Amino acid sequence: MAELWSGRDFVNWISAVSAALTAAKAELNALDSALGDGDHGEALSAAFADAAQKAAAITDPMPSTVLQATAQSLFNRMGGASGALYGTLFLRMSAVLKTRDDIALADWREALTAGLAGVQSRGGAAPGDKTMVDALAPAVAALGSAPTLTEGFAAAAAVAQAGAEATPGMVAKFGRAKFAGERAVGHVDAGARSVAILFIVLADFWKEQNHGEN
Amino acid sequence: MSVRKAKLINQRETILEDMLAGFASAYPEIVRLTADGLIVRAQPKAAGKVGLVIGNGSGHEPAMIGFVGEGLFDVNIPGALFAAPGPERIIAGIKAADHGAGVLLCVSHHAGDLMNAEIALELCEAEGLENVEMVVLYDDISSAPKGSESERRGTAGLFFTWKMLGAFAETGASLAECKALAERIRDNTRTLAVALTSCASPITGEVMFDMPEGEMEIGMGVHGEVGSGRHKIASADTTIDLMLPRILEDMPFRAGDEVLVLMNNSGSMTLMELYILHGRVGAILKEAGIKHYKSWIGPYATTQEMAGFALSLCRVDDQLKQLWDAPANGAFLKGV
Repeated sequence: MAELWSGRDFVNWISAVSAALTAAKAELNALDSALGDGDHGEALSAAFADAAQKAAAITDPMPSTVLQATAQSLFNRMGGASGALYGTLFLRMSAVLKTRDDIALADWREALTAGLAGVQSRGGAAPGDKTMVDALAPAVAALGSAPTLTEGFAAAAAVAQAGAEATPGMVAKFGRAKFAGERAVGHVDAGARSVAILFIVLADFWKEQNHGEN
Repeated sequence: MSVRKAKLINQRETILEDMLAGFASAYPEIVRLTADGLIVRAQPKAAGKVGLVIGNGSGHEPAMIGFVGEGLFDVNIPGALFAAPGPERIIAGIKAADHGAGVLLCVSHHAGDLMNAEIALELCEAEGLENVEMVVLYDDISSAPKGSESERRGTAGLFFTWKMLGAFAETGASLAECKALAERIRDNTRTLAVALTSCASPITGEVMFDMPEGEMEIGMGVHGEVGSGRHKIASADTTIDLMLPRILEDMPFRAGDEVLVLMNNSGSMTLMELYILHGRVGAILKEAGIKHYKSWIGPYATTQEMAGFALSLCRVDDQLKQLWDAPANGAFLKGV
């Protein structure tokens, strides 16, 4: 059976992300304090809480309007480099899905591929640079080779988390952590971990929505 | 090293709003807080002069709210703690700074500040807002090697630009001239900082980074970004001897040059320490035949209660000296 996402699914997903990030706030803050300023969990959960509220208030939500509202919350509530990059990810996804409804696997691939490209061109990071790209790039690739959305999201969540877990071995080339040089080795990148959470929630949410039918 | 974690705030969710409201209530003759959270001049600049605007993460007070006023910035867009404001707020700031002669958006070089400024400028273009330019400023020699100056981050030494650019815009200089002057000041400025302790985030209540007791970090950034090396805490003279020669070499500053000196307190240094440190700076400059024009000593860009300071030099000529001496009236910067 076809797996399709309505605008309402996007609203519910953003709300689930907000809840998961609130639960992971302290963990993300702690990861960020090793190399950044220790507020990644605080800032990201506040932005998603704002996004969840704004998305829920949209009458007749379209996938693109939900993603655009999320981008605006990330840009303007979170700010900083993370807000710009996260915001760019959602804004590019929104641009791809424009007037589309009933988002299928092919649409998701296209949207996330554009989102990843946006993040990379805005921030300049490649895989291996100890950034959110280390979780995002493998997740987008995993979705690209999956037969269904349910399987694709499950694979994406697994490789995103594996990508985040590989960041301790990397030397940071971007963000505040880059100034730590070799001293950054040994720490999980907070942005990679938060992207992994995004995909883990995506997989769990969709599995639940589909009642395991796939 | 122990860090004071308890801070006298009301609630962390409203820390920025509470600070801005308190700041605006203290200086009604100089600034006004707008409904959308911008700090603007109480008396706007005359029409036909270039508007100057900057956004920044909060937590560095008095930067940048204290530098809005006559002879300084028209508008400051304070972001969340240590996070640059997003593009929509930057655009609101640009519009508030527009007096019909264009707006120069100043960017202290950090990833977040630059990305958000770039997005804001793209959106300005899409909106048809014309005559908006951006200038990216940096000064910290520890953050990238010589030859890669444009990768360096913006720290305390940018205050030379704020003061002199602010005075220049008041003269009615064009947007292009303002941008060129900002770049010239930037290219004549070099900074190196040292930190002795960490500090606590007023949002999370946690220490922002580790600093072992008895050590100091040379090249510390304004958010606790680690620098170029740890040293045992040394005497004031030895500390300056570790820092100033690197600054002089980097530019390089030469005999016969004339310089402004900034000793920026990053939080909890005492003035006594800074005066002692400055004594060695003066002695080294004299020995090198570098003329000392004026110094500026105090907490201009802080990182909460971090103990440490930034040493910054700016090479000046007659035009810059005149701009340095021009009137200024910000809450935290009066005519020099």
